[in-house]
Amino acid sequence: MKKVININFQGRILPIEEMAYENLKNYIETLRSYFEKEEGKDEIINDIECRVAELCEDRLKKGAVCITEADINLIIESIGRPADFEAQDGFEAQSSSSNTNFTSSPNEGQNNWDNVRPKRLYRDEQNKVLGGVCSGIANYFGLEPLLVRILWIFLIGVNILGYLILWIAVPSSSVKEVGGVKKRLFRDIENKVIGGVCAGLSKYFGIKVWIIRILFLIPFIRLVFNFREIHLFQFWDAPDFPNFLDITFSPGSVFIYIVLWLVLPEAKTSADKLEMVGEKVDLNSIKNTIQNDMEGFSKRAQGWGSDLKNKYQSEHSSTAQNGATVNTSEKRKGVFYYVGRFITISIKAFVYFILGIIGISLLAALFGIGVAATAVMPLRKFLLEDGAQIWSVYGALLFFVWVPILGIVAAVIRKLAGYKKANVWVRSSFVALWVVGWILLFYFGSSLGHSFSKHNVPEEQTVSLVNPGVDYLEVTASPRLKYYENRWFQISPFDAFSDEDTVFVRNLRIRIVQSKTDSFQVKVVKLSNGKTIQNANELASKINFDLTQQDSLVFLDRGIAINKKDKFRNQHIIMTIAVPLGKRIKITNKGWSQTNVRINGRGMHTETFDRISSDDDWYDEWNEPWDNESFSYERGVEYKMTATGLEKIKRDDDAEETLNNDDQDPDEMEQRLEELKREREEIENNLEKNREEKLRELEKIDKALEKQKKDINKSTQKISASIDASDVKKSRLPKVAGKLTDINWVLERFTY
Amino acid sequence: MDIQNTQSQMRKGVLEFCILSIIQQGEVYPSDIVEQMKAANLHILEGTLYPLLTRLKNAGLLNYRWVESISGPPRKYFVMTEEGEKAYQALHTTWSEMAASVEAIIAPKANPIVNEANTAE
Repeated sequence: MKKVININFQGRILPIEEMAYENLKNYIETLRSYFEKEEGKDEIINDIECRVAELCEDRLKKGAVCITEADINLIIESIGRPADFEAQDGFEAQSSSSNTNFTSSPNEGQNNWDNVRPKRLYRDEQNKVLGGVCSGIANYFGLEPLLVRILWIFLIGVNILGYLILWIAVPSSSVKEVGGVKKRLFRDIENKVIGGVCAGLSKYFGIKVWIIRILFLIPFIRLVFNFREIHLFQFWDAPDFPNFLDITFSPGSVFIYIVLWLVLPEAKTSADKLEMVGEKVDLNSIKNTIQNDMEGFSKRAQGWGSDLKNKYQSEHSSTAQNGATVNTSEKRKGVFYYVGRFITISIKAFVYFILGIIGISLLAALFGIGVAATAVMPLRKFLLEDGAQIWSVYGALLFFVWVPILGIVAAVIRKLAGYKKANVWVRSSFVALWVVGWILLFYFGSSLGHSFSKHNVPEEQTVSLVNPGVDYLEVTASPRLKYYENRWFQISPFDAFSDEDTVFVRNLRIRIVQSKTDSFQVKVVKLSNGKTIQNANELASKINFDLTQQDSLVFLDRGIAINKKDKFRNQHIIMTIAVPLGKRIKITNKGWSQTNVRINGRGMHTETFDRISSDDDWYDEWNEPWDNESFSYERGVEYKMTATGLEKIKRDDDAEETLNNDDQDPDEMEQRLEELKREREEIENNLEKNREEKLRELEKIDKALEKQKKDINKSTQKISASIDASDVKKSRLPKVAGKLTDINWVLERFTY
Repeated sequence: MDIQNTQSQMRKGVLEFCILSIIQQGEVYPSDIVEQMKAANLHILEGTLYPLLTRLKNAGLLNYRWVESISGPPRKYFVMTEEGEKAYQALHTTWSEMAASVEAIIAPKANPIVNEANTAE
């Protein structure tokens, strides 16, 4: 009676006697230790295990109830024990020499790379915490892994994205041991929830599924907690930009998921499943495809080369009919062949390069549009009408921008990873969606254009100033903060939200003209676009723009409020300030440095107030290149209205300093010159004095040295006299002599 | 002198060549190699075959692919690469040269022995 157990051995379920199992286990262990030093031992063991399993299965097929001890012994005998290997023909022992026979043959210089291989970055499988990236880096630089980990966390933050990229890109250290066996990403459809992406990833990286799932779900978990703003792409939701969770997976975990879903094949066959868990080799698949591509490329290049050669040959044979030229022509053919090959290859490379650049920049542009458009999406309610318009913009964004990005990214990854092309259905549905995107884009463009197509009838309103008779007027922004201004980025012309329902637009332009009366006058024209003229008129009349005067200060609102109901239809204001002759005006920078205030340059000249009231050319006025004309106007500078136009009077403090350098009186200049001359003379005098003093000092030093020299000479004489007297003195002598020579040397130097 | 060792040395020298030539004839499963060798009265253990195949594969001479089997997991079938083809050709020329030389060396030596025998009589 023997106990039978079931084992899962190399993907087969085998009923096996317990003793037989023990034998098998021991056998595999001995093999493992025997092949310990063999390159690719895991693979060898794996292959042998496979074979054993296969033989076992054969036994079972032939009607055996279970694998017995005798069966195992037979199998082991047929495969051989380590002892047998050595006894059989001993080639195990010297196998390395037979191996080098092949690798060192001139044809396969490439195979020597194992010996000459330069240092490479590997992920360390043995000392890994997560993926072995840090310990790999530590190995590479010969550092302590812990140090690298700490540095990693400190320097890059918990940059999970970077870690992941390295994880995928850097080959595992087990590549060194196992050659060529691929490990590939598959979708694990057996353990799938949606598409099996997470399960496949977890198999690939050898982590638990739930970790991957949670990483994918984090953005959604966050979504649940602040569902007041539901955006698909949390990353581009500016207010909580510097959130580390956002840098990890949520740049559209949906996006990543879909890309992976499209890119990864299902693990259908059992071979796929084997590869999914893999033999710990990651990047090989990518490397192989690239290598294959390169080989194909060089073959093609050779093909072109030989084509060219043939052409040349035929041409040449027709032109040169003398038999004598055959020899030289062959030589030249050779040269031509190589030149032709070189040219074709370089042209092809260039074309690929250009195509690559175009492709990448297209992708980048699309991506940019996508990001920008998605970022503006929170503002949509202020711009777009509900219904068709808003849906068309959603559709256009999704289908026109994000769909091709997804498609291209997926295609590129597929190509790189050497997967087959996506099937026809996927590709054609991508194209179809993109066409839909185009249609939506055009619809959206035309409908939005229509919304802006008409403008209102301009109407000039006089704003009465409380005290128009002042001599000096300072126009400045209203100090009360209507809204919170500190935002990450702003899309012109929109400004920040004041609250959920209002947004501010800084569409304000200021013109300064000459007043005919002796008091300041302000006139405002409110302008707007709209679907119809009526609509535009209505919107213009709703513009609420306050102006308050306190003594010589005039406060302007910082922007035009736009609400969700009325939308932004390019509401804008042209304000005209008429300045009486001889009076001053200043438009400050303070508080509204970002505000879109333009000063009409023409107003600075001798224009009269009357001209403005001719309504006809308001729009021309608006569209004129204000920037160019108003360039000479400086904010924060006081201007005075003269008969010939505005004139600068005073600048702000920091401007004054530069002013000084520009215009100085010639008299002043001369004075300064003389001062400088005097200073110079003084300095020269001082120099003369210093020199004399120093010379004197030098002389003193010389004298002192002379004295010393004499003393030393005397002492040496004494010493030489008492040489015989004592041994101690004898031993001192060389020292003293050394000193003496030193001093002599110093003296010589001084005399120079 | 260890005759056994010399024998194994000799066998070892041709083993890789034999395996390569079997693979050169077409895609093959390792146990088939063993069978074919056995048929030619050359015995090799699978335990020595697998490491050899792995080495040859790592040297770029062989490649393999997974082939679905009717039952159970896929099997590794080995094929020859272009490099392997070259190596095989090199070995083949070496072999035929060597065989010829060995023959040439053996043959004349057979005669003197015969002559000696004759003279002894």
